[in-house]
Amino acid sequence: MEQLLTANVATNLYWLGRYLERTEETLYEINKAYDAIIDIDKDAGVKLYKKFNIDLEYTNASDFLDKAIRGVHDANIVNIITQARENTIICRTHIDFEAFGEIIELHTLLQRISKSPLPIDYKDIDLILSLISEIWGAHTKRGHRKSSDYFFKLGKLAEEVDLRLRFDRNKSVTEAIIKDINIILNLLNPDAGLQLLSYDEEDDIMESINTVMKKLIIED
Amino acid sequence: MPNSNSFAHDYKLVIFCIFFIFIMLQSTKENILGVYMLEKSTEMHDRFWEIFSQQDIKKIDEFKSYMDRFAVNFNLYKDGNFIEQSLPFDVIPRIIAKEEFTKIEKGLQQRVTALNLFLEDLYTDAKIVKEGIIPQEFVDSASGYLKEFVGFSPSKKVRTHINGIDLVKDSEDDEWVILEDNLRVPSGASYPLSIRDTYRKIYPEFFEKLKIEPIKNYPKIITDAMNHVNTGGINVLLTPGRFNSAYYEHSYLAKESGAQLVRAHELVVIDKKVYFKNYNGKKVLVGAIYKRLDDEFIDPKFFNPESLIGVPGLIEAYLAGNVALMNAVGNGVSDDKGIYYFVPKMIKYYLGEEPILKNAPTYLPYFKEDMDYVMNNMEKLVIKDVAEAGGYGVLFGHSMSAIQIQDLKATIIANPRRFIAQELIEFYDEKCYLNNELKDRKADFRAYVVMGEDVKVWNCGLTRYALEEGNYLVNSSQGGGFKDTWVMEL
Repeated sequence: MEQLLTANVATNLYWLGRYLERTEETLYEINKAYDAIIDIDKDAGVKLYKKFNIDLEYTNASDFLDKAIRGVHDANIVNIITQARENTIICRTHIDFEAFGEIIELHTLLQRISKSPLPIDYKDIDLILSLISEIWGAHTKRGHRKSSDYFFKLGKLAEEVDLRLRFDRNKSVTEAIIKDINIILNLLNPDAGLQLLSYDEEDDIMESINTVMKKLIIED
Repeated sequence: MPNSNSFAHDYKLVIFCIFFIFIMLQSTKENILGVYMLEKSTEMHDRFWEIFSQQDIKKIDEFKSYMDRFAVNFNLYKDGNFIEQSLPFDVIPRIIAKEEFTKIEKGLQQRVTALNLFLEDLYTDAKIVKEGIIPQEFVDSASGYLKEFVGFSPSKKVRTHINGIDLVKDSEDDEWVILEDNLRVPSGASYPLSIRDTYRKIYPEFFEKLKIEPIKNYPKIITDAMNHVNTGGINVLLTPGRFNSAYYEHSYLAKESGAQLVRAHELVVIDKKVYFKNYNGKKVLVGAIYKRLDDEFIDPKFFNPESLIGVPGLIEAYLAGNVALMNAVGNGVSDDKGIYYFVPKMIKYYLGEEPILKNAPTYLPYFKEDMDYVMNNMEKLVIKDVAEAGGYGVLFGHSMSAIQIQDLKATIIANPRRFIAQELIEFYDEKCYLNNELKDRKADFRAYVVMGEDVKVWNCGLTRYALEEGNYLVNSSQGGGFKDTWVMEL
């Protein structure tokens, strides 16, 4: 499994996986909140962003969409994808050719959205999600897996855990994801004995993931 | 009944007509010196235009989409801001007949072989200086000459691993002329490599119907050259980092050649050996480094202590013979435009041969006879600062005012070694399809010559064209664009 990979590339692959997963999951949640704001629960967007520790203010469903995608806050989708593009540029030697192109396209699309004077077009969200699906697909199609693929996957799984915890989702699925993370940790460095404890045994799962990552990717 | 292709058909017809007007004008178009400015059309050009006239011209936009989508960029800093931008690209390729390219190839192999022998000699026995072929003072004053490396011979005595030789085709005598040797960190090969793939996808007919030499072997040539000098260990490509102007090229060549792309702090020198730091903390021995940064930055312990992009201790490892550096440290001496003057003499001295490719007629004000000529003919000469590159430090006498010429004369007299003067070469224009029109633009050609076990000339290159009409500066850093180069036979 050992592949030559700098710590910088490994880190950027990991964060690329996290940012893409964060964007995808956040957009699904934005979709749900947007639908609810229209006629079910005006505060659905406020509640959603509380989970990201952000106080989001909006006047209606369209305004919510606008603020969620390109508002001035840490979970701004435009900024997340700008970060993802930066990760991609840095680790392009280890990324699938098509996936690279799709990430750049995704960034271009979000830049256009961010600069457009027009309200957010709902179809653009579908397009973003579609592009992210293609990126996962391009990544998955490769038969032979390398360390670089696993760092990318590790980022995706870590972000999944983070979001599942924030949204208080089904524990057994989170438990299964933690097991997947442990398998990858073992593949990437079998000698280090890096493993996460089970869901119930961990005090702070995300803190443990961060600690494990620091041990997995040795900066110097 | 009109169909959806009718517009495209009309468009093609217009292009085809424009082409024939061009061909007709070609025989009459002359510059002020009375020489032809466009290369004579050959049967290969005719075949290209015939296929071109049948293509959907609107598909040209796909090239730009491709370059954007895959971030085929040439970065720059402007007003303190980092800007990522794609290089301007023109769809009309430069066509070079295979027979003609074979002559260029032989000339370049000869030249690079001589330059390698020169550098090896200069840094060891310096016979060429001792025998008075090149004045000692000329070498000593070359900014790229590094006295500290005298006596050191690199792995397999190869110094000129990857070379970019700039040529133009003189319209006066229809011959290729060497303008410049780049033996330090020549860039640009990744652009035609990237665009050729796209060309094949967008307009496959050209490649189905014409005999165009394939070019995908370039990364393999680089790998072979690295393996040849490798002292034992992995190959890496050392980049200054993501904000370097040629970062795209660094990542592209690393990926395609199989070398690990590294920044300085991802390498460490222990006991005069260079190691790659893997993500898991393991250290892997490095045998060859394709360095994409200038000598003065590669080792803060040896050169510029302020350098943040160098590897401390690298030179020590290099001098101990524990790692190969591509290109060799100290090659900058041969990029000096004053040393360029002596390359034909080097060819005769080391190889006992007449140069196959000639230099542009060059004068060294350092020599009295040349100084007199330069002073009396400055209005028609091109004056170049010997230590500059990338189109900087180039002055055209014909576009300078009388006062500017007087000032320049005084500067040259005060420091004759700093300048060379060349006759203005009226090199051919290339046809470019710019803003939906065919236009003539000055274009040069950078050939890539790689020395490993033998000397290989890549059968493509970077054709660079000036963006404005009549401009002789084609460098990317001066806003020039690029086009593909097709080595073809009938």
